[in-house]
Amino acid sequence: MYAGGTDLLVRLRKNPVNPFPLVCLGQIKELKGVRESPEGAFIGACSSHASLLSNPIIRYAFPVLAKGLQVLGSPPIRNMGTIGGNICTASPAGDTLPPLYVLDAVLEIRSQNAVRRIAIKDFIVGPGQQRLNKGEILAGIWLKNDPDFNIHHFEKVGQRNALAISVASLSALLKVSESGIIERVRLAWGSVAPTIVSPTNVEAALKGHFLSKDTLQKVMPLLREAISPIDDIRATAAYRRTVAGNILLRLLASFPYKEGYGT
Amino acid sequence: MTVQKNILKVGKAIHRIDARSKVRGAEKYASDYYGQNLVWAGVKRAGIPHARIKNIIIEKTKNLTGVISVLTYRDIHGSNRQGVIRRDQPVLADDKVRHCGDAVALVLAEDQAVLKEALDLIAIDYEPLPGIFSIGKALEQGAPLIHEEHPGGNVLLKGDLKTGRGEAALEECDVVVEGYFTVPYQEHAYLETEGGWALLTEDGHLEITASTQTPFRDLAEVAEALGIERESIRIRAPYCGGAFGGKDGITVQSLLALAALHCQGRPVRMVWDREESFIAGVKRHPGSLHYRLGAKADGTLYALSAEVYYDTGPYDHLGGAILALGLEHAGGPYRIPHASIRGWSVYTNNPVAGAFRGFGVPQVAAAMEQTMDMLAAKLDLSPLEMRRRNAVHRGDKTPLGVTLISSTGLAECLDAVAEHALWKEKERWKASAGSSKKRGVGIACVMHGMGYGPIVPDYANAKIELTKKGAFRIFCGVVDMGQGNASTYLQIAGDILNQDMDHLELVLPDTEKTLPSGSASASRTTYTFGNALIGAAEALKKRILQRSAETCASDPNDGLTMVLRPGSVFHPPTGKEIPLSQIVRMLDESERISVFEFRAPVTQERPTEDENLRLHGIPHRIFSYGVHLAYVEVDELTGKVEAQRYLAISDCGRIINPQVFEQQIQGGIAQGIGYALCEDLVVARGKIQTPNLSTYVIPTAMDIPEMESIAIEKQEETGPFGLKGAGEIAIDGPLPAIANAVADACGVRIFHAPLAAGRVLTALEAKRGGKEVKA
Ligand SMILES: Cc1cc2nc3c(=O)[nH]c(=O)nc-3n(C[C@H](O)[C@H](O)[C@H](O)COP(=O)(O)OP(=O)(O)OC[C@H]3O[C@@H](n4cnc5c(N)ncnc54)[C@H](O)[C@@H]3O)c2cc1C
Repeated sequence: MYAGGTDLLVRLRKNPVNPFPLVCLGQIKELKGVRESPEGAFIGACSSHASLLSNPIIRYAFPVLAKGLQVLGSPPIRNMGTIGGNICTASPAGDTLPPLYVLDAVLEIRSQNAVRRIAIKDFIVGPGQQRLNKGEILAGIWLKNDPDFNIHHFEKVGQRNALAISVASLSALLKVSESGIIERVRLAWGSVAPTIVSPTNVEAALKGHFLSKDTLQKVMPLLREAISPIDDIRATAAYRRTVAGNILLRLLASFPYKEGYGT
Repeated sequence: MTVQKNILKVGKAIHRIDARSKVRGAEKYASDYYGQNLVWAGVKRAGIPHARIKNIIIEKTKNLTGVISVLTYRDIHGSNRQGVIRRDQPVLADDKVRHCGDAVALVLAEDQAVLKEALDLIAIDYEPLPGIFSIGKALEQGAPLIHEEHPGGNVLLKGDLKTGRGEAALEECDVVVEGYFTVPYQEHAYLETEGGWALLTEDGHLEITASTQTPFRDLAEVAEALGIERESIRIRAPYCGGAFGGKDGITVQSLLALAALHCQGRPVRMVWDREESFIAGVKRHPGSLHYRLGAKADGTLYALSAEVYYDTGPYDHLGGAILALGLEHAGGPYRIPHASIRGWSVYTNNPVAGAFRGFGVPQVAAAMEQTMDMLAAKLDLSPLEMRRRNAVHRGDKTPLGVTLISSTGLAECLDAVAEHALWKEKERWKASAGSSKKRGVGIACVMHGMGYGPIVPDYANAKIELTKKGAFRIFCGVVDMGQGNASTYLQIAGDILNQDMDHLELVLPDTEKTLPSGSASASRTTYTFGNALIGAAEALKKRILQRSAETCASDPNDGLTMVLRPGSVFHPPTGKEIPLSQIVRMLDESERISVFEFRAPVTQERPTEDENLRLHGIPHRIFSYGVHLAYVEVDELTGKVEAQRYLAISDCGRIINPQVFEQQIQGGIAQGIGYALCEDLVVARGKIQTPNLSTYVIPTAMDIPEMESIAIEKQEETGPFGLKGAGEIAIDGPLPAIANAVADACGVRIFHAPLAAGRVLTALEAKRGGKEVKA
């Protein structure tokens, strides 16, 4: 089973299956496109990254997701790859995942005669592992509108500016008051643990405080506890650890009201 | 005069002729052959870095259905050794394997699936030998030998050059700086991996089509290695899909030839996949360099000591010549009266290092140009001023003591940089860095020798034929590996013969049709072949005009007034125009063809009495020059370095096709940015840890900034239309220019390339005291 085939292609090259019966979900109309609903949007699992990037609902209501899609792979990969594939591949480096975590995405799973919904954080359980049972497919993603947030941040650290597997990434949604208080915050890091890390204690520790370097520095110990990066050919664990913290400081530059506040 | 519009004129920017067919996918590369009855050939690779071969177990493989043949060294009846200078590389390993990518057995199969299965079935019984994985280990007393018979032990080539009082003069300097640098491997990463096909014809001819830069040299190597007559081999070299030096020498040629000998007249094809290209293909030499550079208080360079160590892997593969070129360029384009320059090219059991655009120069340029900046800082001179005070002019001596008797345009390049907006506005740009960003600007001066040096003859033979249809057919003896030289040849011929594209034809290198013209390498391709082509074109033009005058005009001296037009000859006084297709009938078969040989001039000076170094190419006579300038931005939070603007000002003589020239410069810069910032072939105990393009990171279009290329177009008197080599020089500059820019941005120098984010962040943290922003 595949949708865009971009992950499958790589896997098949390494381990050819012969003969391989392949079922392509990518041509099923119902699994494609974005539908607006009163409380948000439903994204068909087989929507390509490129189609979502050019979709006004995604761009305006869920800019954090658009920012993640913008740096995923390269134009050909974004044309073929799908958001459902990115979720089902369940890589800690999947670029749509941190945005979907902070958006509290709910997945719709379908089988021949059942539909169930599951939060993305409960669906993905390990690298390459998700709770998809035999006979089930991911039909789509439910996102809730939340116009409250005024910072929509995504940063991916990779070895180059395109076609890069994330070495660390951070997705953040914040509501910061005019006086600079963090009123609401959602954070999710990619590539620093077996799955996406979205530590509620870090979020709680930030809430109610000024968005300042000091505030962000203070949560570093909690963050350090929450992540468990690995050494691999792309980066050392130490680098990932340092950078996971450092990129949180980038939020200072995105303070919505006054240029350079709090630095 | 509309016909005149499309005449190919030298100096005009025109699209290369291969652009259309390549973009449309119509151009046939060496491995684009899927003829009937095809045999698939593949290689069993060693997989371990150093071992004695006890037994190669092939019985099971032989019995597999669909396997045609399994060949080992026992099936080779020649020397089984190939190489350009020292022939030390087996076609198929016999006594030992010396790196993981050594070829041990060759399998011929009916299809790809069987081939893969067959290769997996081959077992090799080894007696493992201690491996040599570093330069230091190789040079240790009593280190295991990689080539027991090599008189130099693990040292392939050593060079020791001294001018003036050498390093002793460092003591007389007012300021001296010192640096230890390391530079990494670089993978060629061409789009088209190594490949081709071959066929043994009924009359016993071996026809090989391969992606190669050196069809004529390959002939001799294949013949000797396999013990067959050179005359019975024919090699065709279509356009390469990139080569950059990685196809300067044998890749698949001998294997294909051996395969064809066992295919009963069936065509046989072999293409390395990306992983095989990584493991078996050559790479840029990694190295370590120790530099000490001293100057007088006024900024005049006075003494240099440079020690250069290159890891050449287990085979020569031009590793000696590469060291020699490195040594020749070790002191950069400066006047330095006293210099000690020493170098070692060392055998190891690491991947094979070989020719790669730049050929030993990018490594030394990285060290020299950074050392120059360190010295400038100590003297409180601007990097530009430091270079202006010491730049070579025509008539000066190089750090090797060789007089520069050819065009030398470095000073003009430096002047142009000083006048350029990017130089003038750099402080303003640096000051406007965003939060968590640091900006820096760096420059580097480079020079690059052209051709083979004093001993190996650097010649080319051009051939032009006036076809029966009245077109000119250019027999191109040097490979076009993607750099566009074939188009340039048409432009040269078109200019001289006053023809448009419709009346020009091209024959790509083919040892049976085109004439020996040396390799597509050493920044010599257009210089040497271009000069030969001018000779051939002028002679043919003269013959045609003379003959048409004799036949068509009343006065035979009218040959002087007749002119060529596209497809015709024109006589202005009478307005008479005769098609070339008619003229051709007045010419004998042999008269329709014009051949001319050109041999590149060499210098008579001898900076060394070491004949071996001279054989390996020291010294050169003609050099191109350049100044590179890089704007970089460093992210303090991640350590990521981004090149944001780039300028290259070059003295490559006059430019024949500005478009093709710019592509060369831009390509060199892009490849150099990869070398500087992200390309890092990691090797551990002889095994490549980054064996594919997912882990070995080359830059994408998103990583390459806007690049500006300016040519100062100084005439080189010996060059065809005044040109000098341009193929390599652009890769010499980016690493030092960027490293200098990073040092300028961060206030700390990183001596180890590539300047990848992890390294830069560590340096920034160390500078900050290692505390500030740690999670
Ligand atoms: C060169 C390259 C660069 C890449 N760069 C990036 C990058 O920068 N960032 C990034 O995150 N990813 C990257 N990827 C990975 C990949 O492109 C993405 O993960 C993509 O979103 C996968 O989608 P797909 O539709 O192509 O998946 P497919 O290959 O079609 O499927 C992947 C897996 O998911 C399953 N699956 C797919 N759809 C469904 C469904 N609807 N229901 C149930 N199971 C399903 C398949 O069975 C398969 O196991 C890259 C891949 C390549 C080859």
